[in-house]
Amino acid sequence: MIVVRQKPLDEICAMIAGHRSVLLVGCNTCAAVSLAGGETEVDTLLQLLRLTNKRHGMFIELSPAVLQRQCEPEYIECLQEGAYDAVLSLGCGAGVALLASTVGKPVYPALDTLFIGSAKGLARWQAECSACGQCVLGMTAGICPITRCAKGILNGPCGGVSDGTCELGDRPCAWVEIYERLDSLGCAKKFDTILAPKDNTTRQICEWDMSEGCDEK
Amino acid sequence: MAITHTNRSNQDDTRDGRLFAPCRARCPIHVDVPGYLAAIAEGRFMDALEIILARNPLPSVCGRVCLRPCEDGCRRCLLDEPVAIAALKRAAADTGVYPAPRLARRIPGRIAIVGGGPAGLTAAHDLAALGLSVSIYEDKPRLGGMLRYGIPNYRLPDYALDRDIEYVLSHGIEAHTGVRIGRDITIEELSAQYDAVLVTVGLQDSRALPIPGADKPRVLKALPFLEACANGESMDLGARVVVIGGGNVAMDVARAARRHHAKEVRVVCLESRDTMPAAAHEIHDAEMEGITVHCSWGPREITGENMVEGLRAVRCERVFDLERRFAPVFDEETVNEFAADTIIFAIGQGPDIDELGLPVTFRNSIMVDPVDLKTSVAGVYAAGDIINGPTKIIDAIASGHRAAASIFRDLTGHGDTLESLDQESAVLGRVPDTMAAKVETRRRIQMERLEHWDAILNFDEVELGYTEFEASREAQRCLSCTAGARLAVEKCASCLTCTRVCPHGAACLNMGGYLYFEVEACHACGACVSQCPAQAINLETVSEEDLSRRVQRKLADRGMDTSLVFSCGHVPDTLIEAGVDFRAVQVSCLLRVSERSVFEALEEGASRIVFTRCTEGDCRFPHAQDLVNKRIRHIRKMLSEAEMSEAFLVTTAPDEHFTTEVDTP
Ligand SMILES: Cc1cc2nc3c(=O)[nH]c(=O)nc-3n(C[C@H](O)[C@H](O)[C@H](O)COP(=O)(O)OP(=O)(O)OC[C@H]3O[C@@H](n4cnc5c(N)ncnc54)[C@H](O)[C@@H]3O)c2cc1C
Ligand code: SF4
Ligand code: SF4
Ligand code: SF4
Ligand code: SF4
Repeated sequence: MIVVRQKPLDEICAMIAGHRSVLLVGCNTCAAVSLAGGETEVDTLLQLLRLTNKRHGMFIELSPAVLQRQCEPEYIECLQEGAYDAVLSLGCGAGVALLASTVGKPVYPALDTLFIGSAKGLARWQAECSACGQCVLGMTAGICPITRCAKGILNGPCGGVSDGTCELGDRPCAWVEIYERLDSLGCAKKFDTILAPKDNTTRQICEWDMSEGCDEK
Repeated sequence: MAITHTNRSNQDDTRDGRLFAPCRARCPIHVDVPGYLAAIAEGRFMDALEIILARNPLPSVCGRVCLRPCEDGCRRCLLDEPVAIAALKRAAADTGVYPAPRLARRIPGRIAIVGGGPAGLTAAHDLAALGLSVSIYEDKPRLGGMLRYGIPNYRLPDYALDRDIEYVLSHGIEAHTGVRIGRDITIEELSAQYDAVLVTVGLQDSRALPIPGADKPRVLKALPFLEACANGESMDLGARVVVIGGGNVAMDVARAARRHHAKEVRVVCLESRDTMPAAAHEIHDAEMEGITVHCSWGPREITGENMVEGLRAVRCERVFDLERRFAPVFDEETVNEFAADTIIFAIGQGPDIDELGLPVTFRNSIMVDPVDLKTSVAGVYAAGDIINGPTKIIDAIASGHRAAASIFRDLTGHGDTLESLDQESAVLGRVPDTMAAKVETRRRIQMERLEHWDAILNFDEVELGYTEFEASREAQRCLSCTAGARLAVEKCASCLTCTRVCPHGAACLNMGGYLYFEVEACHACGACVSQCPAQAINLETVSEEDLSRRVQRKLADRGMDTSLVFSCGHVPDTLIEAGVDFRAVQVSCLLRVSERSVFEALEEGASRIVFTRCTEGDCRFPHAQDLVNKRIRHIRKMLSEAEMSEAFLVTTAPDEHFTTEVDTP
């Protein structure tokens, strides 16, 4: 799923300053699962904004809503018409975008969209995928070098690795992990294959229609 | 076992489709025990009292002397000790203020109740609350029955009984005392004046044995003796008293005799030590007061010329035969003589109803249909000990409810209030082993009581009751059986956070990947509720809306610089001593206070929020403590982003001075 996290408060305040009435919209799919965009987080942010606005002598009317999924037009239709003049979305980028194209009012993101990831226990996630459009996980024992290697290189490791740790120091070297897992699966040989450069046009895909295909140039 | 209710909201009955906590199931009137314990854990004594009063109109009485069948069923029994359910009922009655009676619209119908004991008072309460006119006729000068004239004041003082009676009478009930039905007014006369007559006359005949010497002066019977005690009469019993009998009444008589300055009080009974009907703690208390208990003796003769000199008794070898019938066998050779100046029979109570002229059973109790409690005389019903035999107060109350429901139905045609619990409800099973291993052991809080040597000096109440602090702490021991996490499936985002935080694995996935909660494994810590992003989980007993209302009420009269304190359990005295302006909201775990609640309270005008009393070593939800600390960090971070860091304080140790900020680890 898509992992998101809330923006710093002052950034959010700056975006909605000047509006009279703002609707906060959560998303009960990935953003909720990321513990950043469910009903609870909508209520919490709303309350915090009320408090800060009051302290700064501002008055912005704030109201809450939660959609099952912000990235589906049908769900957005459920949104009640209201007197709000802007929307603060607690969804991922896709949610913000679809809301912005639908509601005819300024829509602001309250969250930053981080990555496509998997759950690692309570309130922790692992970045797993960067949606590059050409999956190589089959060659890399399910560990994505584009995502988890700091440099995103296709044939690693680079010279920066020491003791299995990336030179950034904040993560294990993805390529060492790839090697170790391939080895444990008995396919260390795959490591010898040099991966060809990727066709980056897949990153340019702008729309995808299952029957018509996409407008790849 | 019947479940009967009055006109009050019966939403508590539908809770969980009638899955009852064992304490609630074992209570003959099914008081919502987990509900009121949860309220006390949060210091909401008024709410607790209202929950109790919805089913039990005599909480002050039952909180003191109920024989507490609920506690035998408590799921904590197997972990450490049952929760002090009755003592906490007393705390609610002593601390809470009785609410104004809730009365239904007046409807035609007049009911006479004969006898003002617990059965009669309960029925009177129910019927008056339903809008009928009710009159009680009581032989004695005051209401209360055995509660006033039987149970001695050191267990149930008059002030405690009067609180309940006043509450019952506040429903607009007329009481005629000093009127003996059957002698002053007949049942027929009552029947002619009233639409229904309910007979709850109890068992007023005190039994004695027809042994030689039983007619001597200073050979007394339990009930007249206890009545004289209740009336504050002074008595000269002499130095040595022998009480004959082995039940609770015998213990009451012996302890009362001790308080009349008898130096040597002996209880002599037929039964062996382990078959004595008296409750173990009653025997223990009696012995602590210097009373000796002599088991397995059968009284044969009261000796002495004119006055009592002693009791001659022979060894009793067996009381019951193989079919559990009363058939004592004696060894006439083994004789003992117990020296005595006074002998008191406490061998049981029986009906005294000849004057009433109602059809009786072979046991001489009033004959009724066990379901609707009607006698064979039209419009006459009976309830309480007179139909049940010598039982307990709570059975008399249950019987009073049942009679009231039956009368109401017959008079108005309304209310199918005689549903049976046994047929429809399930009882929660025992604590699963995996959960038991993780529940913190906590002994019951011992109530302060008079020292035994002081207690025997007079009839002052022996048990002194819990302080508010002790009451909340004791109530926090409750596992909130059946009152834990509830899932609103349609809101769930399937994030699985709840399954990750629950220490007992109560949040489970079924084969289809859908979430459900295992009621047996939940002890309502609220960890999952606090972490759910979708607000899909609720605790049965506490809600965010309730908390928000409490906060608003507290802050309604705030000053310029009022702090709002959220405290896990009772608010520490150090806060009061610090002389700061604060309002306190007691919660049963700080996890119940969300980020949102904190910001909301600040917006309501609190100048500062304080979290206090989340203390290691004291906590019964250690897993929740980590989450509380996480939440504290989160609130700090958010408030610092809002440049309001100074508006949030956390004190950890219970005696921490609250103006100094202490970081939780
Ligand atoms: C000494 C003693 C100690 C007890 N201790 C406990 C205890 O600790 N816990 C517990 O649960 N139970 C205890 N019990 C049992 C309990 O008191 C009874 O089960 C209960 O009181 C029965 O209630 P009732 O309303 O049926 O009858 P009662 O309480 O006996 O009330 C009947 C009332 O009817 C009145 N009455 C009788 N005849 C007439 C008439 N003809 N006209 C008008 N009024 C009349 C009586 O004066 C009395 O007030 C004790 C009993 C005794 C005797
Ligand atoms: S733990 Fe609480 S709810 Fe459970 S049986 Fe005991 S008193 Fe009742
Ligand atoms: S986390 Fe606590 S409240 Fe939630 S299901 Fe588990 S025991 Fe119950
Ligand atoms: S925490 Fe809430 S949203 Fe997540 S799975 Fe549990 S109930 Fe559903
Ligand atoms: S975690 Fe803290 S607040 Fe919660 S019950 Fe334990 S001590 Fe109390």
